[in-house]
Amino acid sequence: MFVSPLFALEEKLGANFGEFAGWNMPMTFTNYQEEHMAVRNGITVFDLSHMGRLRVKGNPNELEELIAKELTKAMPSQMIGPTAFLNDKGGFVDDVMTYKVSDSEYLLVTNAINREKVIKWIRSNSSLAVEDLTFDLVMLAIQGKKVKDIFDVDQISHMIFKLNSKFLGKEVFLLSRSGWTGEDGVEIWAKPEIAGAILNELVQMGVKPAGLVTRDSIRQEMGYLLYGEDIDEETTPIEARYWVFSMNKNFIGKDAIVEQLKSGVKKIRFGFKMKKGLRIIPRNGNSVSSLGYKIGHVTSSTFSPFLNRAIGMGYISPSHFFLGYTLEVEVRGKTYEIKVDDFPFI
Amino acid sequence: MAEIKVGKYTVLSDLLYTETDEWVKLEGNVATVGITDYAQKKLRDIVGVELPEVGRTFSIGDSVGVVESVKAAVDIYAPLSGQVTEVNGLLTSSPELMNKDPYGQGWIFKLNCTDLNEKVKLMDAENYVKKIQKGE
Repeated sequence: MFVSPLFALEEKLGANFGEFAGWNMPMTFTNYQEEHMAVRNGITVFDLSHMGRLRVKGNPNELEELIAKELTKAMPSQMIGPTAFLNDKGGFVDDVMTYKVSDSEYLLVTNAINREKVIKWIRSNSSLAVEDLTFDLVMLAIQGKKVKDIFDVDQISHMIFKLNSKFLGKEVFLLSRSGWTGEDGVEIWAKPEIAGAILNELVQMGVKPAGLVTRDSIRQEMGYLLYGEDIDEETTPIEARYWVFSMNKNFIGKDAIVEQLKSGVKKIRFGFKMKKGLRIIPRNGNSVSSLGYKIGHVTSSTFSPFLNRAIGMGYISPSHFFLGYTLEVEVRGKTYEIKVDDFPFI
Repeated sequence: MAEIKVGKYTVLSDLLYTETDEWVKLEGNVATVGITDYAQKKLRDIVGVELPEVGRTFSIGDSVGVVESVKAAVDIYAPLSGQVTEVNGLLTSSPELMNKDPYGQGWIFKLNCTDLNEKVKLMDAENYVKKIQKGE
């Protein structure tokens, strides 16, 4: 199993580790409720070293053909995304973030579980050169309502990145104004020793280290999708209501998407909330019904400490997708009411 | 009660334990039951619990309730046969007590045991330590 280069430091900081996508990563440092609220009300730092980080070089038209959003119109230093590699059926090979370094050079962040698959996908569908930077650099996300208290985030615009920049006076490979929490923040890629020093300094400044359990509850409040749970090779952006493509260009999977836009879909992603105070979490695969008739299933769910209720998402028949409508979810043989809602939940 | 450390897990010397990671404190016929430090750490953040009804009787090994964590939901089993005499109502609003203080404030229910001979089916602390070591 892979481990973050910051493993020893994180162990000293009290991390509880667990397996995620073949990596042994911090799941929590204290508990997810505290860490979750620290994102919403304070500042946190996440180690995201498990995410795939790739450098892609070559003919820009080739990457344009592979990726669903328009890249060539963007300016260098601009992030484009989320976008996706799709298969011929329009299903997700992966959803990715792209960083345009120049017309012929891009950086990509992939889901940890798909890093090798994306490398193979690019190599088998193009002559682009792919370099895997994942094991050379650590990725940290500094996120939270009060991030401005410790770093002047306004020196960099949203979805813009800088290479060979400085964070807290230390040389980092990449600094971007981005995140996956719904709060303000920056993400950095840095050599392990520098990332370790930054993590240490952040903790001394009062920034709360947070783990992947918190990341999961935070992203669900925003309605962000997780590959492997909410999207996969059998799910298209139309079904997922995930606008990762552009209709102004050609890309692998576009024909299938156009077809779905013409003829409609059989399933659609929906959000739901359970009743307040009901401390039951539906699980991936639990069935969703209307008047006792099965119309879909749950893909992700958690208990939101911010909303003090269980929330989640899944797929249902589009004919039942009414905001505010009450459906039923079956959890361990019992049926509970859920209300159809939309994202973000907060 | 002496604490035994097994890596990051704590086992208490004077309790009895089940294969399904409940701890049992026996005082006469009354068994106080909770989940072990090992179990709560494996489950991580506990967000809910379904408590058994007071007055219900269970046989050894019956499912009496559910502990719901962000990671998974697991059944709680009756470590011995008997009737539930009390449940820890605090857990309804503060289920995280099972994380914070699994052997204390995180207790789940009390059982009036009907057959103390069943005690032989439980593990002492020494054997529970071995079980944890085997599982790690």
